[in-house]
Amino acid sequence: MWKWIQRQASPKVFYGTCSRLIPWFFWPFASLLVIGLYWSLVVSPSDYQQGDGYRIIFNHVPSAILSMLVYAIMAIAGGIGLIWQIKMAEVVAKVSAPIGAAFTIIALASGAIWGKPMWGAWWVWDARLTSELILLFLYLAYMSLNSAFDNPRTAAKASSILAIVGLINLPIIHYSVKWWNTLHQGYSVGTGGLKDPDMQIALAIMFGASIFLYALLVSIKAKTEVLVREQNSRWVKDEVEGLVL
Amino acid sequence: MTMVEYFSFLPYGKYAFYVWLAYSVSAITIITLFINAKRNHTKTIFSLKNKFLIN
Repeated sequence: MWKWIQRQASPKVFYGTCSRLIPWFFWPFASLLVIGLYWSLVVSPSDYQQGDGYRIIFNHVPSAILSMLVYAIMAIAGGIGLIWQIKMAEVVAKVSAPIGAAFTIIALASGAIWGKPMWGAWWVWDARLTSELILLFLYLAYMSLNSAFDNPRTAAKASSILAIVGLINLPIIHYSVKWWNTLHQGYSVGTGGLKDPDMQIALAIMFGASIFLYALLVSIKAKTEVLVREQNSRWVKDEVEGLVL
Repeated sequence: MTMVEYFSFLPYGKYAFYVWLAYSVSAITIITLFINAKRNHTKTIFSLKNKFLIN
């Protein structure tokens, strides 16, 4: 396994791995999404307090978890790129940023839409919401900084440092509902979270679908990024000339 | 007539507008991300093909 991971440092091997993995990510994603949507919107019962309005949770919670998870992956990959100078780690960090930003936008938008019928407001300057908004700004700052340099190595170094510093925001988001009195409800997973087994299953399936979606998008975007970075290599010329559009 | 009342014929009644709006926003974001990723990949291959054809 360790040897396999080490081999991924080679752009050619990494490109091939991404190509091979795409169908292995796409089909589980598509299947889990269909099953998850059915379980979330049909099988799961109504909530005793929030009625059917709570169903936004199956969309909101996986996106919110992924927004933090993707940021952690981005910062760790950036750190690996900084320490061991592995170019493919820089690629993973770079392509993860817009995907993580999209998950953050979904979490913020679905949260605002859920907040209106439950709290009577689209937005409140609550600790959880504000720290999640800061996460979106961190993603945007990372992407801006990464595109501000012509040299991809310099861009990766500068933006990786920003990503690592921004890691401090993740425990703040997670523990915000414990540390402060927030309007946002407590944890949806684990103690005090969803009680009904069907609700838990629906949430788990939607979370699985989100993981596969992230892996799928990273694979597609990483392939593009590798081609651009390695365009002067012989193997890229052979690869591109062999492809039929 | 408010949006909530207008969309109340859909499943989930008075919450229909909010539930379907949340799922629609997510679907649009994900589809946009997916199409963008695929289009960028195709565009990159196309421009590299042209570059190698010239050289």
